[in-house]
Amino acid sequence: MARRLYRTRPRINLRRVGLYVLLIAVAALFIGPFLILLSSATKPASQDVFGFPPDLIPRPPVFDWFREAWTTIPYARFLVNSVIYVGITVPVYLVISALTAYPLARIAFRGRGLFFMLFLSIMFLPGELMLIPRFLVMSQLGLTDTFAAVILPAVLSSLGIFLLRQAFSQIPDEIVEAARMDGANEFAIFWRICVPIVAPTLAVLAILGFVSVWNSFIWPLVVLTSQSKYPIALGIAYLSGVAGTDVRGLAAGTVISLVPVIFVFLLLQKRILNSMGGAVKG
Amino acid sequence: MRGRVVGQHWYTPYVFMLPGLLFYAAMFAWPAVIAIQLAFSDYDIVHPVRFSGLDNFIRLGQDPRVWIALRNSLLFLLMFLPLTVIAPLFLAMLVNLKLRAIQAFRMLYYLPVITSMVAVAVAWRYVFNREGVVNWLLGLFGAGPIDFLLDRHWALPTVVLLEAWKNAGLFMMIYLAGLQAVPSDQVEAATIDGANAWQRLLHVVVPSLRPTFAVTLVLSMLEAMRAFESVYVLTRGGPLDSTLTLGYYIWSKAFQDYDMGYASAVGLLLWAIMIVLAGFNLLVTRRRDG
Repeated sequence: MARRLYRTRPRINLRRVGLYVLLIAVAALFIGPFLILLSSATKPASQDVFGFPPDLIPRPPVFDWFREAWTTIPYARFLVNSVIYVGITVPVYLVISALTAYPLARIAFRGRGLFFMLFLSIMFLPGELMLIPRFLVMSQLGLTDTFAAVILPAVLSSLGIFLLRQAFSQIPDEIVEAARMDGANEFAIFWRICVPIVAPTLAVLAILGFVSVWNSFIWPLVVLTSQSKYPIALGIAYLSGVAGTDVRGLAAGTVISLVPVIFVFLLLQKRILNSMGGAVKG
Repeated sequence: MRGRVVGQHWYTPYVFMLPGLLFYAAMFAWPAVIAIQLAFSDYDIVHPVRFSGLDNFIRLGQDPRVWIALRNSLLFLLMFLPLTVIAPLFLAMLVNLKLRAIQAFRMLYYLPVITSMVAVAVAWRYVFNREGVVNWLLGLFGAGPIDFLLDRHWALPTVVLLEAWKNAGLFMMIYLAGLQAVPSDQVEAATIDGANAWQRLLHVVVPSLRPTFAVTLVLSMLEAMRAFESVYVLTRGGPLDSTLTLGYYIWSKAFQDYDMGYASAVGLLLWAIMIVLAGFNLLVTRRRDG
């Protein structure tokens, strides 16, 4: 407040202008590649995609390449698949994470810390290292090349259990005790009282889950053989491998795949950005 | 536990955790056991698993490509560390300024984090094309053009740069959370004592960010060691094995050559390296705290 006194008269601040120039230059670094992708996707066939100096404004912008990408590969199929993968994985992920985190936060039992460490150990079993043995487990279960095989490994994460445990343990005891006095059993307390209170954390996890399932690539690549079950990220890799795909068509296909994620991000950016810091600060 | 709460039984916590424990067992614990078993076996998918003792590890010691992959992974780590542990701190300081629309800039810097590796790799192939924007910029300074992804000296740095660029926003947000917890009275006191911005950064901000550095350091190391997708979509380990990382080598041995036992042995090596790095990190950051 005291500092305010010195700043009552606003004047054109060179330092501030400089900072904005810097901020915009850095922003160009981060979104430049996306803009170049968009520019390539909307250039007419008569305009070169590459060349010196870069000619980035499409003259005129055309949208044929989006149709081209859409028909070169079964694009709609891949999109629907990804929606199915997200639609099943995320709710199951939330329910399992909440169920697992609840007793770790709110029920006193022997070995609680040990169980918590067990679930946190998932962090040291990254997907990249689990490709081979999980592929074998899926073979043993007869699940290779099924939707289930893509979904099953994605429904448990240490981050989900960690964040929800934290959220559950911050619920004041009085709220829970009142319900207990009224004769509510443990599941009712969990489901009707605690879950609604941790809804913001669940929302954050839902977004992170959506993003990670939408972008998942390696595991589906390993476990799926039928193209008809590909999620969108595999579809893009497939499109880039199709002989004769125009560079503009590939750019257009990639742009379409980015739209849902960017849309969700723009809609919920505040929540996503705030969650990242919170998650790490623990 | 004495004095059990009304409505709770000894089995209540286990009932809650049952689905989680089942998934843990099926998708993490059991595969981990299989991974260890496979590392001591021969397995090509067609024939049954056959115990082979230490053969895979003996082979591993004599396989020149393992050493190439190990060297590449360590080079990757060496380039990736400063790009993700130091550079994003400056990004965070930039977006920690109290300026109008600063949230919009945070959002733009974070965008690559939430987009898929496949998509950003496609975008990068346009940017780093022989006739792309980067080579044009180099041309202005009389350098290049460089075939970034086809030149064996440039391919690995380009992949590292992509990974760093894609993850920078995440590290930035971690630092931002750390910066916002830095006691502002200390910064002000240092200012009054005549410390310039650089001195304030080195002597006030950095020391109070120690817990944050512990997080970014371990995250960066693990991220570097497991890098696979970027290699897969940009270079497939080439040219001439110059981007062959341990992660990519494991994948190609397992799913191109179906040499699953040997691939698992290499996987165990990578796993051991990751645990050693994480442990080392814990040790270093603990000691500094004391």
